[in-house]
Amino acid sequence: MATRSTELKQDGAPLPLKASGISRNRYIANMRKHWMLYLMILPGILFYVVFKYVPLAGSVIAFQDYQIFKGIWGSPWVGLDNFGFIFTYQDFYNVLRNTAVIALYQLLFGFPAPILLALLFNEIRLMVAKRVVQSLFYLPHFLSWVVVGGIVFELLSSQGVVNAVRGWLGYEPILFMQEAGYFRTIVVLSSIWKEVGWGTIIYLAAIAGINPNLYEAAVMDGAGRWKQTIHITLPTMFPTILVLFLLQIGNFLELGFDQIFNLLTPMTYSVGDIIETYVYRAGVLQGQYSMTTAIGLFQSVIGFILLWIFNRLARKTDQGLW
Amino acid sequence: MAKWYFRKWFGKPALAVVLAAGLLAGCGSPGGSGTDAGGPDSEGGNEVTKVKVFKSHMGVGTIPGPDNPHVQYVAERTGVQYELVTTPPGSEPTEFLNLMIASDDLPDILRPIGGIEQTLIRQGGALALDDLLPQYAPNVWKNIPQEAWDVVRSASPDGKIYYVPKVFLVPERAPMIRQDWLDKVGMPMPTTTEEYKQVLAAFLEQDPNGNGVRDELPTSGREFGKWMDHLFAMYGVAMWEGSPEWDVYDGKIQYAGVTDNMKAAIGFIRELYAEKLLDNETFLNKGDVWTAKINNNLVGSWYHLPANLRDRFTAIQQKAPDAYVVGMPLPKAEGYEGYVTQKSMGEPEWIIPTKAEANAPAALKLLDFFYDRSNDEFIRFGIEGMQHEVVDGKKVLLPPEDSRPLALGMRNLTTEEDMNIRIQETIPEDMQQMVKDIFEVSTADAKRIAGDGLPSTVYEGYPDIQSHKLFQEYLTKIVIGEWPLEKFDEFVDRWYTSGGEEVTKRVEEWYSRM
Amino acid sequence: MKATFGEKVFQTLNYVFLIAAAATMLFPLVQLLAVSFSSPVAADSKEVFLLPVEFTTASWEHILKNQGLWTSFGITVYITVVGTLLSMLFSVMTAYPLSRREFLLRKPVMLGIVLTMIFNAPMIPFFLTVRELGMMNSLWALILPGLIGTFNMIIIRTFFMGIPGELDDSARMDGCSDFGILFRIYLPLSKPVVATVSLFYAVGYWNTFSRAVLFIRDPEKWPLQMKLRAYLQSPEELAAVNMFLGDFDFNTTTLKAATILFATIPIILVYPYLQKYFVKGSMLGSLKE
Repeated sequence: MATRSTELKQDGAPLPLKASGISRNRYIANMRKHWMLYLMILPGILFYVVFKYVPLAGSVIAFQDYQIFKGIWGSPWVGLDNFGFIFTYQDFYNVLRNTAVIALYQLLFGFPAPILLALLFNEIRLMVAKRVVQSLFYLPHFLSWVVVGGIVFELLSSQGVVNAVRGWLGYEPILFMQEAGYFRTIVVLSSIWKEVGWGTIIYLAAIAGINPNLYEAAVMDGAGRWKQTIHITLPTMFPTILVLFLLQIGNFLELGFDQIFNLLTPMTYSVGDIIETYVYRAGVLQGQYSMTTAIGLFQSVIGFILLWIFNRLARKTDQGLW
Repeated sequence: MAKWYFRKWFGKPALAVVLAAGLLAGCGSPGGSGTDAGGPDSEGGNEVTKVKVFKSHMGVGTIPGPDNPHVQYVAERTGVQYELVTTPPGSEPTEFLNLMIASDDLPDILRPIGGIEQTLIRQGGALALDDLLPQYAPNVWKNIPQEAWDVVRSASPDGKIYYVPKVFLVPERAPMIRQDWLDKVGMPMPTTTEEYKQVLAAFLEQDPNGNGVRDELPTSGREFGKWMDHLFAMYGVAMWEGSPEWDVYDGKIQYAGVTDNMKAAIGFIRELYAEKLLDNETFLNKGDVWTAKINNNLVGSWYHLPANLRDRFTAIQQKAPDAYVVGMPLPKAEGYEGYVTQKSMGEPEWIIPTKAEANAPAALKLLDFFYDRSNDEFIRFGIEGMQHEVVDGKKVLLPPEDSRPLALGMRNLTTEEDMNIRIQETIPEDMQQMVKDIFEVSTADAKRIAGDGLPSTVYEGYPDIQSHKLFQEYLTKIVIGEWPLEKFDEFVDRWYTSGGEEVTKRVEEWYSRM
Repeated sequence: MKATFGEKVFQTLNYVFLIAAAATMLFPLVQLLAVSFSSPVAADSKEVFLLPVEFTTASWEHILKNQGLWTSFGITVYITVVGTLLSMLFSVMTAYPLSRREFLLRKPVMLGIVLTMIFNAPMIPFFLTVRELGMMNSLWALILPGLIGTFNMIIIRTFFMGIPGELDDSARMDGCSDFGILFRIYLPLSKPVVATVSLFYAVGYWNTFSRAVLFIRDPEKWPLQMKLRAYLQSPEELAAVNMFLGDFDFNTTTLKAATILFATIPIILVYPYLQKYFVKGSMLGSLKE
């Protein structure tokens, strides 16, 4: 019974569970012994089968010319035509590039932002101040992108704050929202502003688990705040960071329609038209379910490949998702 | 029956899994009404037939039940009891309808949106109404002009009537200008584009709003180039809320977006922009921002619905008590024949699914009730205490409220007379003449375009052409000066090669059938 | 312990930065509040900044006496409470075996679950599935299809994996079953993450919208967010209200602001309350050496 902990203590490496090495008997024995674990997870598995996998089977419409009136059995099969159509679409390369570039920016800047913020929060000594500031940071999460989009447009308008500051400094106003060059920066900054406080909560929960004795011991050893952060706080957060990173990688090409849609103008199409905005035009407005499902599958496959690669890397630290 | 729908999707084994899962997870639907039952079968043996009616965008209110007086009154008169089905707020109505079709849950008569009527027609799901209409809905048949029925016939592959069209015989939109600003800068109504430009320049320079700040926006529009149709109209461009339409140019039907008229219009607009006569943030104006600019007494000339002028005008008056808005006759552009685009007929309004064929006579009888002029009073005011109250012996409509039941209305036929009544009912007396005058001016300039009633199927497979994405990109970038006007030629080429050619062929084919 | 000069400078800058940033985040809500108490003309003219202009409570009165809005409020509270409890229960029960090395199916099951995060079911089949389960127009349609949030479940699992094994060994000695270990040892040790994930679920349920649009046809059962959209989407209807009443004390803009706040403030208040668990939960650390 004590296997797990002893193994962990010894080297922290995963159990040598190679699929080939496990006989059927071993599974049955395991099931007998730990039947409660199997029982416990049963509702969860049923949930995933019923609400995720059964509807997911409907993805076959990506290989059909799905006609809603005829249904899935009545619609003709077209093989890979829908995928072919995507790749012959004139602007597809552009749309894909925009999506990937923004996704990369989000990963580079949006992902670390809540981690940094959590560390900054951690440096506030005054408990009341800490709580108040935290509570304020999480407010924008509750505003919809329609509202935030309106705020961004107003802020960057000719009468807005940013141009007012430029005016004081003697610069001409710039209409930022219609300049393609600023679009991606605006997207990344606005999503950091909106979600950073919310994203911090999870890291704060991780930090809350740290034993204060550890810090005290570090202080005895003469470590300053910086060293404490590097050697105690960050390592405790690491498993959470890694998991969140992997999950974001898995949905790499899904940027969220609402934000982009509310910030996009025709002047910024060249850098801001992404897969989701295209799907909206083609799918929602034209009802082409087969094609949009095909695009969705494409996004998912890319996401899965990326996740698979990174998960393999993560497993080297015994922290993979599976 | 319900099981069958599911098998259509997943087959028996999956069904078993799902049902088993449902049981095991211990999740029935307590208190839930389950799948909605209720078919066309009549209840209690009386003569009333039930008809399910789908109509989206109904606004706030509850769904009227069978005991609702409005439902009962209509049932008494027609022998048909309507059951209203509507889209929930925030849903994409097209998507909602698609789900209804996919789950075989179609109503007896529906108001199609987003081109769903074409899906039904092509997949054999729509009932031909040619013979049924004269028989069961004589008022619909005779009140809708013959011309409109022809447009409907042209939209189906076999030339049959598959839907009842919307008919709107007055132009809804109008170019408007501030008369009090014209007076302040001492200029008459402009008659040419040159004069119009001078007026706008005077608006910019001479502080007509009198606040001592040079904050006037002589004319303005909205994001995507919406609601600045007046600037295109001067050059004879068929334009509908910023989307180019189809009209006859050089003797053949064309997308107005790729014509020389469009190039000239964009050139003109580009000049206005460069001289700041057009709001430099016009392409960034969301609806509320644009409205605020007009309300704040900052805009001199704009394009909108005169019937909705009331709120704006009230706000303007707070800042400029002597404000007055008039319709602007289109200034003449040298070498072009300007007009205000009017789309009057052909948009689908009611369609009956083949599945509901048995109920079609009843559905049409219901529809006919609303098109019968002798019912006008009831259609407008409904039931006392539900839709209106009587104040000083006069019927006054009650404001919609989400705790009160909705009342079905099915007529979408607007004549000049209807519009006058609407103005009388919704516009305060002291503004009525102003609004009527604006309509008069825009009616004089209005022209029904050749592409009126064009079915959306012509765009199939070309979402970027249908959404005018390419056009918007070139329009905006040329106007703000990022691209030279010559880039427009590149747009024309790209438009044709990215599907415009095929779409044009389809439109020509449709037009030849008209 | 003495702070170095550098640390003091950092502390000051940190305060300045955080407070300034927090102010920008508070601003939109304050402005909404001001708009909701302003006259329609002032609101539409974008004159309202931080304080109401031409103060009036008309918008709030109109909203608060609206019976339908309170019904929706009740429904939202109901699905938030019931949904969060059920979600936590099933998430924890799924996360626990997946965090145990002795659960041999851990990896395949985990992979299967992660896949559902990446591959999304198309809408129509999803709709038909839920419909076939008889959940149309039932509040269960707002809870069961999202019962386990994969993201949340994985977060819980990650924390469970960080709990040292000695604990459950000793628990087993005392005769605890897996259920016992989960509920008596793991959960109490995981207060911060339980608080966090509960918050995530609660906010998710509170904001329930797209599923409600799909499955709830009966306006009596609309959650708050749908009511909110009803207001946001039908400005013409609302404009009609004052048109008929000849009353200009509120309009779409001010009602919109008031409704957004009505639908948001209750859920915003949950977090400050939960914050105490982020401090007290440090118990977990005492075992981590």
